[in-house]
Amino acid sequence: MDSGRVTLRPFRVSDVDDFILWAGDDQVTRNIRMKTVTSKEEALTFIKDVCIPHPWRRSICIDDRSIGFVSVYRWSGNDICKADIAYAIAAKYWGQGITTKAVKMAVSEAFKDFPDLVRLQAFAAVENKASQRVLEKAGFTKEGLLRKYTFLKGQLKDLVIYSLLSTDISVAVDDKLL
Amino acid sequence: MEADGKQGQEGSPELSLRPLDLSDIDDFMVWATDDKVSRFCTWDTYTSKEAGIDYIKNIVIPHPWFKAICLDNKAIGAISVSANNGNDRCRGELGYLLASKYWGKGIVTRAVKMVASTIFNEWPHLERLEALVDVENGGSQRVLEKVGFQREGVLRKFCIQKGRCRDMVIYSLLSTDPQP
Repeated sequence: MDSGRVTLRPFRVSDVDDFILWAGDDQVTRNIRMKTVTSKEEALTFIKDVCIPHPWRRSICIDDRSIGFVSVYRWSGNDICKADIAYAIAAKYWGQGITTKAVKMAVSEAFKDFPDLVRLQAFAAVENKASQRVLEKAGFTKEGLLRKYTFLKGQLKDLVIYSLLSTDISVAVDDKLL
Repeated sequence: MEADGKQGQEGSPELSLRPLDLSDIDDFMVWATDDKVSRFCTWDTYTSKEAGIDYIKNIVIPHPWFKAICLDNKAIGAISVSANNGNDRCRGELGYLLASKYWGKGIVTRAVKMVASTIFNEWPHLERLEALVDVENGGSQRVLEKVGFQREGVLRKFCIQKGRCRDMVIYSLLSTDPQP
């Protein structure tokens, strides 16, 4: 896959038909908070009420068609130094390095959009090896396993926590320039 | 009121946990005005009794689980478990502090053991008791390790304390772990 074809952009109402292809798939939504959408109306509502107003949510696109999402949720108060990153893509595009590429792009954009952001963190279910590999390839550091951390779709989950610091990125850039 | 039954030694004062209230304000101010106590806490050292009274009224009294650590019923510290909602209701965060004059005698370890042995019965929905400790706070890390919490990892630049982003060690005790 020519990686130039993978882009990030805000969601549009016109993404609805492509949106249903991945957001309507239980496999894709298994490890994320959003419920599988079951109708065009639900998809439209979700795009209008959640995706578009979100402070930082992008459609992952191939040839400008939506195949997934990546979002960054900024904390507040004493937690303002950190943000959570989450993502999912259509099953047909798994295993091709597309999610890794999209996450790398999102990381770079998010640190530019939030210059005072210190820590990006991500959680992957302990059995979700593919998502853990995405984060590792994107340069995140595995920090530990959080046991029985939260309920996801009614199941109590053990989650692996990863982080990428703004200082991790600048070090990586310096190494490249040497 | 819960006591830990360790009053065996002759004349040694009884340790107990009970609700903290406004009548404890003077004892509260002893630790609240101590920089050594506030050092790893999110709050700044208190400078007025009014602020202490406000804290007890607005935060302590309505809190889902907040107790004074007492020696012969005199408050010498505090211990609390925070509750979460929705998908996160399975976990609660433990916090504790002790007036510095009483440090180094194993008091906090006893208090944490008391909480760990009762909280899962009091809150049947709780699966996980967790605690976050500054990487430089070795004393607090040792308390949790002695009680049997599992160290899960270091969360880098996790939160802001006293204006700086701190690395925090995260610990957990599950309802299914061997009880202390």
